[in-house]
Amino acid sequence: MRKVFLVILVSSGLFAHTPLLTCMDEGDGTVTCEGGFSDGSSAGGVNFIVKQGEKILIETKLNSTSEINFKKPSGDYVAIFDAGNEHRVYLKSSEIFE
Amino acid sequence: MKILLTIIMGSIGLFANHFQLMYTPDTTLKSGKTIKMIHTMIHPYSDRKTMDMGKQHKGEKKFLEVEEFYEIHKGIKTDLIKTLEPIEFQGKKRVGRGYKSKYKLKKMGDHLFVIKPAPYYSTLEGIYLQQITKTVVNIAGKPTDWDRELGLEAEIIPLSKPYGIWEGSSFSGMVKASGIPVPFAKIEIEYLNSDIDMKNFKMGKAKTVAPQQSFKTIEIKANERGEFTFYLPRAGWWGFNAKHVGLKKDYKEKELSIEAVIWVQVKKIK
Repeated sequence: MRKVFLVILVSSGLFAHTPLLTCMDEGDGTVTCEGGFSDGSSAGGVNFIVKQGEKILIETKLNSTSEINFKKPSGDYVAIFDAGNEHRVYLKSSEIFE
Repeated sequence: MKILLTIIMGSIGLFANHFQLMYTPDTTLKSGKTIKMIHTMIHPYSDRKTMDMGKQHKGEKKFLEVEEFYEIHKGIKTDLIKTLEPIEFQGKKRVGRGYKSKYKLKKMGDHLFVIKPAPYYSTLEGIYLQQITKTVVNIAGKPTDWDRELGLEAEIIPLSKPYGIWEGSSFSGMVKASGIPVPFAKIEIEYLNSDIDMKNFKMGKAKTVAPQQSFKTIEIKANERGEFTFYLPRAGWWGFNAKHVGLKKDYKEKELSIEAVIWVQVKKIK
């Protein structure tokens, strides 16, 4: 019972803060995105997706520094930081600058 | 004669209130970008005089360059001294020697900027001032470094975030000298009473009118642990200067006062 209670506390703690995503066009044909949480906790290992319409171009996890660098897709795309449980942040390519 | 001297010195102390400014238009950014900064020494409220950063009273050079300028993000220090470019900053009454800089901020979180100018000789006070100044810029709202203690000779360590402050809320800090709290440290607080024209390097028109000097330079004292809290009544920039807190030193046969400055930006609730 005690173990169950602890697990519930940890789970609720994980989502008591807001997920954050920033992306920057590196100007060399790649884009770097960084995920995070408003309480400063790491987003290493959190799911990250790049979609073009309904097509998934990249589906991976953020590295230990909560980042990912990927080849810039041609055309419009959306970067998604997916922390689960409806804790998703979407960033359109039109909002990603050099 | 002694009384007269005391009165004069009292007046000098009253009106000294120099502040090293490290200004950028926005400290709470949604995403990474190249930010521009202005570094100038001013009287933030009255704009009475713009000082020449690094002014010396004697020696081969009339002015000395900034000693240190760097940024800290996730504990990693990046030297920015080469990003500084000299400018002439136009105050209401006087042009002063200052600097501009620009730097591309990429990473999410806090970017803690620190500038340590060369000692400035205050003719009025007959001493040198060296104001180690902090400004924190945040990207996307992730807190990483805002409360980081750097062990500076004079330092205000925030106890509340130095950004993301609503008008009418407060800022708390702790005054330390080389890592040791300074009990009952004297802190001068001034409102930056003009907009900064980043293009033309000049101060704008005064935003408010103070009924008396006490409102221009607000003075508080820290508690016995060096901690203080101040409520910020108006949106804009507020400077906190912990006076004469560094260990007493001499410089070019004059007293050197090492001081800690931090700037916070307050935003209006819309």
